[in-house]
Order: sequence, then structure tokens, then C-alpha cells
Amino acid sequence: MTADLQTNAGRLLTTRLVGVVQQPSAHVSVDPDGFARSLPGMGGVFVRPRIGDRAGGWMSDHLEVGASVSHPEPSADHALQVLACVGNRAQVLDGPAAGGIGTVVGKHAATMVSFSGDVLAALAPGERVMIDAVGVGLRIEYEPDIVFHSCSPVLLPLFAPSRTGDGRLRVKVARVLPPEAAAAGIGMAAHSANLDLQVDQLAGTVGAADLRFGDLVAVEGHEHRYGRQPRDAWIAVGAICHGRSVGGGHGLGLVTLLTAPTNRVAIEVTPDASLASLELPGAEA
Amino acid sequence: MTRLRDNRDDIVAVAVAGRVSDARLHRQLLWMDDSGRSCVLPGTGGVVLGLHVGDRINDREADHAMVGASVEDAGANLDDPGALHLLSCLGNRVRDARGVALGVVAGKRGGLAPRAFPPSLVAVEATDERLTSLVPGDRIVVEAEGRGLGLCDFPEVSLANCSPRLLDQLPLQASRGRLEITVKIIIPARFAGPGLGQDAWIGDLEIVSRHHPAVDLNDLRYGDLVAFQGIDSANNRFYRPGFVSVGVVSHGPSQWPGHGPGATIVLSGPAERIAPANDADSSVANCLRTWGAES
Repeated sequence: MTADLQTNAGRLLTTRLVGVVQQPSAHVSVDPDGFARSLPGMGGVFVRPRIGDRAGGWMSDHLEVGASVSHPEPSADHALQVLACVGNRAQVLDGPAAGGIGTVVGKHAATMVSFSGDVLAALAPGERVMIDAVGVGLRIEYEPDIVFHSCSPVLLPLFAPSRTGDGRLRVKVARVLPPEAAAAGIGMAAHSANLDLQVDQLAGTVGAADLRFGDLVAVEGHEHRYGRQPRDAWIAVGAICHGRSVGGGHGLGLVTLLTAPTNRVAIEVTPDASLASLELPGAEA
Repeated sequence: MTRLRDNRDDIVAVAVAGRVSDARLHRQLLWMDDSGRSCVLPGTGGVVLGLHVGDRINDREADHAMVGASVEDAGANLDDPGALHLLSCLGNRVRDARGVALGVVAGKRGGLAPRAFPPSLVAVEATDERLTSLVPGDRIVVEAEGRGLGLCDFPEVSLANCSPRLLDQLPLQASRGRLEITVKIIIPARFAGPGLGQDAWIGDLEIVSRHHPAVDLNDLRYGDLVAFQGIDSANNRFYRPGFVSVGVVSHGPSQWPGHGPGATIVLSGPAERIAPANDADSSVANCLRTWGAES
């Protein structure tokens, strides 16, 4: 941690959680023209695409990158959904991929864990994954308005390394999107699941359509302290963790990592602002 | 008002049975206000006395409140709306277990995401005298009519959740290839919130403009007409520049961040075909209230 960012990381609890790789869903979604389609995406283990690959274009619905992990008991699943943070270390416990090391990269209906291609190729639904969850409660001292969600202490300095000369937190993102991108996920608790970004209608926004899994993205005019909502002079930053959708009003999934008043942060747009560039185990591009 | 040509002679009417819902507090939702303070208010489900179409939505300490009795599919998975929810249209008659007229469908409220979040409720406007006799669990029947309804001369315009008799009451006028409709307020797309990404026949679309007082919701009433700019609601509701969705205010505000009053969308299409204009009196409250008291 850089000297000028004093966080409470040393006070956070690490909780060992376990979940089970989900069976993929074969649900039916209706597209904006009224046609019903069933495409894979939710649940299961995706060997392809991986973190760092393009997020759009796949014949899929809400594709959850990596392995989708949940718990059969609702309260334990809720703990997994809330306490697991992006950047947390995970390990396969069962089956031919046992011992494989990965990293939590997102949240949707399940918690998404990225592993190397070899581990993903050997992993299957029903096998258990252990996550050492740490990050809930993370804050920067004397910055009450900068709020983190699902952000592990390991991840924070990799995308928000230091302050600017005038004291704002530097935050690296690959893209900045307008508030109209926000779709399903508004009004949901910011500490779980994600915000769908409808990037296909943003004709004037450069690069919205070529985002990759793991890219860090800022949404302008959004505040995610408690629930996700539009609000001028705030910004929300997260990572792309699920793919496009069949239905309108859905799109690339953004797991919220940070929200702040715009005058507390300095957003730096750089194409390599991605989880895939951070050398997290199992989440390398 | 010239009557628009529609296909009402070809649409069917079907009885759907359901129940008066229980009042519920869903544990999976975020029970806090904008400042993180605990915030628990009634409003979801059950029978509400003394709250009717035409009343101001801001006059009660309530959360997502709907008028009258909230009804639902009997035995349904709460997260997954059934035939009663999906076929009910504003203006449909509702009768009680004895077959006696109870009231009229006056709104819908839906969850945050398909198959994943409750509730899925339909509001029935009725007199307090009739509502007093209801308890949660009572059987009701909706005389569902409106699914399939369309305008013959405006094929690009979609109707949803709209009975033929409600269509007759909408302040619509065809002019030079466009449907002109008056609404109480016009809402920019960025303030469309929960309800995006949902099926056009589920629930409502919420107005999340709490931090933007330029969108004045102060005098909004149940039954008022509102328009969302840049929202397509033909099949599912989503941001689409050049489209317009028009709805009827169906539930009241919420203190939860990212929530607000909701409108059940009845009309949607490209802006070349639908032209909303402001009129502070644009409402279907009077007819819904009258129908709710019919015997």
C-alpha cells in the first residue's frame, strides 16, 4: 500500500467460505423484437471466453466469466455473495482440478471465480471451491464519502494507487460510460450482484462496445453507496464480469468496487485498466 | 376525441383466478434509506384502506404502496409472475369469490429482475366498503382482457397492460401519422430505474430522480399518465434513443436508494409515432375510480 493511502486493511477479517460450482442454466430470454432465445451464460464453467477476452459478441446470455460458485443454503449463499470480494484468492477443493488457485472476479446470480485455462478445463459443476473472503468494511481513513464494495485490499492499490497533488484518489479505468448505460441493477444493494450496462445503444460513446471481461469501468452520474442510483456529481467504478444479454435492459455486468463524489477522485482512462493486467492468480489474460 | 381503429373485436377475455396477497417484507431487499439509515415502511401487498386512484402518491409514509387490494397468482413462486400477473390489464374487472363485483385493475408492481426478485402484484381499486370485507388469501377473479390489443393504423406502437376500455380513455389523438398523447410529466431516460430489463407485462418502471428536483414529482397522483423518453417497452423495457413509453402511475415512492414511484407502461413505440405533450391534468384516475365502484 502506498504511503499516502492510509486504509483500514489491517483490521479486516478474512473469512473462509466454501461454495459449489453451479450447473449451467438453460433459461429462455425474450429479445427486444419478441423472439424467445435460449443461450448458455449463467452458471457452469466457461473455458472460453476467459478474463481479458472480449465481453460482447458471444452467443450467450449474461455469460458469467470463469466458474460460477454458489451455496445451496440461502444464508450461506448470501454470505458468499456479499463477503466474497474481487481479488480474493480461491482454491478448488474437489475433483480433477483440486488445488487449482484462482481469484474472485465478479458477482451476479453467483460469485464468479477465474482460474487458469488448465484448471477451468478440468473443473466441473458440483465441485467445491474455497474462497478466503476479505474486503467488506474496507475504507480509506478520513475519506467517508469514498465507499468500497466487493473490493479486496489486494485489489485497491492496483487500480487506485495513490493521490493526486490536490488530494484526490487516482482511479484507473478503461472506459467512462454515461448514466444512460445503467440498466437492470438500479435499486439493488450495491454490495452484491451487479449493474447491467446496456452498451449497445451508446452510439456516441467511444469504445463502449469493445469492452473486455475484467475491464475497469466508471459510470458517471451514479452513486452506489447503499443501493445503485443515478445521482449527479457522483461516480461508480467496477469491473466487467458478465457478458451481453438477449433481453433489452440488460447488458455487460459491472460489479461495483468503488463509489465517490466526483470531486474526491481523479479518473484516469488507460486501456490496460483491467483485472487481467493485475497478475492475480488464475485471472491473468 | 376520434376513436382509433383497433383489433378489439379479435381479442379474447379470459377469467384468471388468484388471491389477495399477504402483506410482505421481503428480506432480500435493502431496508435502508439514502443515508444508510434503517427504513422499514408498509406498502407491499395486503389490503390498503383509504388509498385510492387519484390520491397524491406523496401523502403517505409508505414504501412502494399501491391502492386498494394487492392481488397475485395463487400458489405461484413469488419471484416468477404467473398468468394473473401476465394477463391482467388496467381497466379489467375483478370479482370476489362469490362472483360479486369487487373493483378494477389499476396498476402493477414488479420485482427488480426476471425470475429473481419479488414481488409481482396487481392493484385492485375498489371502494373502502368492499375492501373492508377482504382478507389476505381470499380468492378473487380477474376478467382479463387486453393481451393482443393493437392499433390497426399504428403497427409500430405496442400496447401492454391496457384493456380496450382504458384505451378509450387515454388522451390520445392521431394527427399526421403520429399519436399525440398528453402526460403529466415527461421523464428523461436516465431517471428510468427498477423495471428496466423486465418483460413489458411485468410490474412497472420506476422514476429514480430523487436527487434531481428538476423532475417534479410533488403533485403526482395514482392514475396520472407519465412518459419516459428514450425507453422502448414493446417486449422488454430498455434504453433506446428515439423511443417513448407511456405509463399510468401505479405505486408510490420509496425511501430506498435507486427506487421511486412506478408507472405501469401501457403504450410504447418510436418517437415518430408517439408524441407526448405536457398537461397537468392528464390522468385516467377518474375512470379507474368510477369503474372500481361499479356493481
